[in-house]
Amino acid sequence: MKGEEGVRIGDIGRREGRLIKISLSDLMPLPSPYDKPELEPALTEPKPEWSSNYVTELDGYVAIDVPWKPKGREEEEKLIEKFLEGLRKLTSREGNWTFLQPLLLSLDYCAKCQNCAEACPIYVASGRKDAYRPTYRSEVLRRIYDKYILKKPGVNIELNARTILRLGELAYRCTLCRRCVQACPLGIDNGLIAHEIRKLLSMEMGIAPTALHEKGTVLQLKTGSSTGMNPKAFMNMVNFMEDLIYEKLGRKIKIPVDEKGADVLLIHNAGEYISWPENPAAYAIILEEAGVSWTLSSELVGYDAVNYGVWYDDAQLARIAMRHIEVARKLEVKRIIIGECGHATKALLVVADRLLKDDYRIPRESVLPMLKNIVESGKLNLDPSRNNFPVTLHDPCNIVRLAGIVEPQRVILRRIAPMFREMEPHGVHNYCCGGGSGFAIMNSLNFPEWRIKVASRMKFKQILEAFKDAIDPSIPKYVCAPCSNCKGELRDLLTHYRATELYNIHYGGLAELVVNAMVDLKEPYVDFTAQ
Amino acid sequence: MSLKYMEVGGRKIELDEDGFLKDPSTWNEEVAKILCKEECRDPDTGQMGVMKDEHWKVVKYLRQYWERFGMCPPIRMLVKETGIPLQRIYQLFPNGPAKGACRVAGAPKPTGCV
Repeated sequence: MKGEEGVRIGDIGRREGRLIKISLSDLMPLPSPYDKPELEPALTEPKPEWSSNYVTELDGYVAIDVPWKPKGREEEEKLIEKFLEGLRKLTSREGNWTFLQPLLLSLDYCAKCQNCAEACPIYVASGRKDAYRPTYRSEVLRRIYDKYILKKPGVNIELNARTILRLGELAYRCTLCRRCVQACPLGIDNGLIAHEIRKLLSMEMGIAPTALHEKGTVLQLKTGSSTGMNPKAFMNMVNFMEDLIYEKLGRKIKIPVDEKGADVLLIHNAGEYISWPENPAAYAIILEEAGVSWTLSSELVGYDAVNYGVWYDDAQLARIAMRHIEVARKLEVKRIIIGECGHATKALLVVADRLLKDDYRIPRESVLPMLKNIVESGKLNLDPSRNNFPVTLHDPCNIVRLAGIVEPQRVILRRIAPMFREMEPHGVHNYCCGGGSGFAIMNSLNFPEWRIKVASRMKFKQILEAFKDAIDPSIPKYVCAPCSNCKGELRDLLTHYRATELYNIHYGGLAELVVNAMVDLKEPYVDFTAQ
Repeated sequence: MSLKYMEVGGRKIELDEDGFLKDPSTWNEEVAKILCKEECRDPDTGQMGVMKDEHWKVVKYLRQYWERFGMCPPIRMLVKETGIPLQRIYQLFPNGPAKGACRVAGAPKPTGCV
């Protein structure tokens, strides 16, 4: 595995300095009008003092923002010991009840054909840095497993503290989009391996980015939401949305909360209420118009669909998923529907399935098929010409590639957005927004710079290409992203490149476009002057 | 934003890496006046570190909301309740309502998918 930098597997523990050097001139070029260097903001250097607590030796960026660098020989040995103990658990039946089989199959053999590397937006956008290959971190873990757990002879890897520190950071240079899995002729899941390294770090060693753990799952279980929103604040959001709806619709709607026996418990990502209240408000309008029996919950955790555990820790995942199910049981609803949120959809629909037995097997669905059925039912009075601007669709990885919900959102857009155009590639072959697996909310130190410059670069290229016939700033353009995390990333991406200001490119959810097409509205629901 | 703590009236106030208060209960108006040096801009002259009535209106509303609900309100609510348009808020707080104004109001860094 020799690339332009010539970084080899063994270098992860051996090399001095940074393993990867990011530079603007190496990054994948952006298409017009962003092919001009003056539109590309410069890179910054990490502060020298960071290196005493955090790992800047991978690429100069820091995702793991809790101090975890060992001080002295003794602490280094302890770190290695704990890592190996975690790896033993991760690869044993008792220690890994979720993903043991695919992990062991993925660790077993890799042909190093590198088909996955060209499928990885991070590897390609970075300028093809060797250590960002999906196979790089996998091969490091495979060799450690072979040498120190299976005790195979002749395996070339040295497990020292630097190996673990760099590997830990490297587990957070993959958005878990799992596009690499599709490209692998052997079905190896390199995305899963990145996920399992995160799990080892969190579950055995107590190491996880603050945004995911302390200010994520821990805060959610304590206050009810990773935003810190408590039930009282949630009710304030409901009142606020009712006012918003009155302003837009000209009539009052009572948003149902804690309605026992409703058909549907709708759980949104609570970030929507704070950052994009038009989205949950749009659902309230649509469900009212369509006559659906539905409710929100004001119970702790029942109003926040997020489950960051799916990105780094199975125990936290299980705790939150069980809370969601218990809330639904108490309300005696027929099914749970997750709003426009990708990871929450995968967490509760797919991954939590292994947790749920008997009475706990409540049907769980994404909101997109229901929205499609409503749009097709003719219950909403829709005039597509109200969406008379170019629209493209971003496919959230967790909803599309990883949960198989591909068509409903397209059926809707073809009906309500006459200037809808696909990105290339799209559907299950989409590229991640760059904010996947928690990146969009990891804002400590210099990590936002890395995720925008490298992880989101392919998405920005796709957006510019989708709108190349309409790049003229006088034409408003809409990137439809039915996922809160993706929206957060798109906001930061468009802000970084001043793309709203310079080229009139906007972003938002799907339900907003549906409501924008409703003929009953006097004013447009989508407000291009607001962003 | 390299401060790790600041001294206000003999008290040592801790800040996180991004300059937000570590403990929001340590906030008072004196603290706001110090934080404003990096966040508040005079919309007429462009000078930083100036706190006018409009700044205070935003900051006091945010602080009140935070004390009541333990989080910062939606931007749309802030605009509606203070009557100050979003563009004006960006003129007053160049880092924006969440990163700039909420910081001066002593709220911790926003968390979750916001």
